Amino acid sequence: MWLKFKASVIKESLLLLRDKAGLAMLFIMPMALILIMSLLQESTLKKLEERNTPVLVINNDHDSLGAHIVAGLNETEFFELHQTIDGKPLNVQQLKKLVTNGKYRVGIVIGEGASNALRNKIKYEIQQQFPPEEGALFSPPPDPDKPLPKIDVYFDPITQSAFKQAVMSALNEFFYAVEAKMVMEIYASMMNDIIGIELKQMADFKNMIDLTEKTSVGKEEKVIIPKPAQHNVPAWTIFAMFFIVIPLAGNIIKERESGMSLRLRTLPGSNLSVILGKAGVYFVVGMLQAASMLLLGMYILPLFGMAALTVGPGLPALMIITIAISLAATGYGILIGTVSTTQEQSSIFGSISVVILAALGGIWVPIFMMTETMVKISKLSPLNWGLNAYYDIFLRNEPVSGILHYALYLLAFALSCILAAWFYNRYKNSR
Amino acid sequence: MASTPIIEIRQLTKRYHQSDEPAVKKLDLKIGKGEIFGLLGPNGAGKTTTISILCSQINADEGDIFVDGKNLAADSVQIKKIIGVVPQEIALYQKLTAYENLRFFGNMYGLKGEDLKERIMSRAAAFGLEQKLHRKVNTFSGGMKRRVNLVAGILHRPRILILDEPTVGIDVQSKNVIIDYLKQLNEKEETTIVYTSHLMEEAERFCTHIAILDMGKIVTEGKPEELISGYPSCNNLEDIFLLLTGRSLRD
Ligand SMILES: Nc1ncnc2c1ncn2[C@@H]1O[C@H](COP(=O)(O)OP(=O)(O)OP(=O)(O)O)[C@@H](O)[C@H]1O
Ligand SMILES: [Mg+2]
Repeated sequence: MWLKFKASVIKESLLLLRDKAGLAMLFIMPMALILIMSLLQESTLKKLEERNTPVLVINNDHDSLGAHIVAGLNETEFFELHQTIDGKPLNVQQLKKLVTNGKYRVGIVIGEGASNALRNKIKYEIQQQFPPEEGALFSPPPDPDKPLPKIDVYFDPITQSAFKQAVMSALNEFFYAVEAKMVMEIYASMMNDIIGIELKQMADFKNMIDLTEKTSVGKEEKVIIPKPAQHNVPAWTIFAMFFIVIPLAGNIIKERESGMSLRLRTLPGSNLSVILGKAGVYFVVGMLQAASMLLLGMYILPLFGMAALTVGPGLPALMIITIAISLAATGYGILIGTVSTTQEQSSIFGSISVVILAALGGIWVPIFMMTETMVKISKLSPLNWGLNAYYDIFLRNEPVSGILHYALYLLAFALSCILAAWFYNRYKNSR
Repeated sequence: MASTPIIEIRQLTKRYHQSDEPAVKKLDLKIGKGEIFGLLGPNGAGKTTTISILCSQINADEGDIFVDGKNLAADSVQIKKIIGVVPQEIALYQKLTAYENLRFFGNMYGLKGEDLKERIMSRAAAFGLEQKLHRKVNTFSGGMKRRVNLVAGILHRPRILILDEPTVGIDVQSKNVIIDYLKQLNEKEETTIVYTSHLMEEAERFCTHIAILDMGKIVTEGKPEELISGYPSCNNLEDIFLLLTGRSLRD
């Protein structure tokens, strides 16, 4: 039994080692995939949080509102203001054109007399607060029909909405600050007019609340901030591990087509050790894939300027879930190899089904971007169980107990595949 | 030779699920211990089917097979140990070397270490393979593959050796080497040999017993010389074969 198992392991290992294309598919392609996908995502993410996004500003106000906005934009690291083009002041037409063709991602036009319009509006609102018998508080009195201050923001048409929102909320923040400041100024001058007290200096009402971004984590209380690598590497690792289905199923079919599996039936003893030997080798390959890709995330991605994948204290959990994923992929490969009749059939069906399961499972498109129905469907994909467990380990520091249910699902999947293959074989042999 | 049968086939029937006609129909056959038994017949007669059932490759629909007094249906594990199989199609891993293939088959029969190595080397030498033992099988000629295929079936010194057309597609030299080796095996180790072939002349010289199969049934059997003398119009096995199975194409 042990000898047969060993012989089978040696045979499968030799066959696999001599299949250069298969090895490339199992190791080099997924690693390239991780690298490329990470680089791509990294660059789009970079764009999103890019510092010094170039912004064109036309300030026709030449008064406090315009000055405040320009100063505010200059202060944050996110924007790099340009008020001139080639040393010449720009006009609205130019600005629109430059933003539309993507040279600049944002263009802001502060309308003429915006500060005056804002002051008028504030005075009007203050006037409304006092009973009419108090008479006019300001001279000249505010004009209720004067239009509101006008600020137009133009975006590069291909800008993602997340970025637009970020810019708009940053601008809104400046507006609030400027508004508040002007309100204070006007009240202050009213105080001066009415009761003759001159306020020494303007109060600073900014930053009166401590707002800090925190990451909630599990029991370990060690803060891990999610990085692209932590989303990417696990996702593509699982995807690649499931691609073992193609060489494994191919191997099974080849053995059948070449008459080898019939020949094996003439050998004494059960074929279980032969099948276990085969499954064992592919299982180990899956583990090696996982190891190489996780190491890639930890040590190679940083070389490309990306954040490294950090394995928290979840090493035992990581081992358990990786074993479960590799078993699930091996079981699925055995099933596909058993039910397919030709190599072509198995490689087409195998790869398409893995791609579909990957898409459903949130490998391609993260789950949080899916609709609720899709999220429910995604729970059916074994790749999703693996991915969720990896996320739990990398992002939430879950211990073994936190991912055990995913490991059990994966084991159940592996077992059902193998049982299905076994029954299918029995059914076919009985005919 | 009234030897005790080591293989006894009773009322064997097998129908493949795609076909309407059974490939083997209520076939009865006894093969004596120490015989060189030739199973002859035109293409599609059911030779490979019979042999496949005998080696547990496929299951029979009906009938019983006894090997060395044991029922194949109940005792296949024990029976497989004493049978050596050389299939009609080459069954070797093309990407492995001849040595790796043979070591794999040896291990499968529980052989290992120096003993296995020695067995591989001696048989490789007998079949002129020792030079190429460490080359991949897919670089071999058809004849060499056939010889490796044969060695894979005899490493464990089986008491019964079943060969499905071992001499197909090889030159006279190889054929003689194979036939001589099998004869030796039969004489020295009393190995019972069951063998199929289309070559009547070869069978006539080589076999101690012969059965002619057609359309899944035995049409005649006996010692070659007895058969020939039993058909006065026939000078040799080929004449009998044509007489009994007709001249029309089969399969
Ligand atoms: N796997 C199979 N499925 C369906 N029919 C089969 C199968 N194998 C063999 N047959 C049919 O069973 C019959 C007997 O085939 P078998 O291979 O036993 O003949 P054979 O005597 O070995 O022929 P040959 O001399 O050509 O090797 C043929 O009619 C063949 O078409
Ligand atoms: Mg045949």
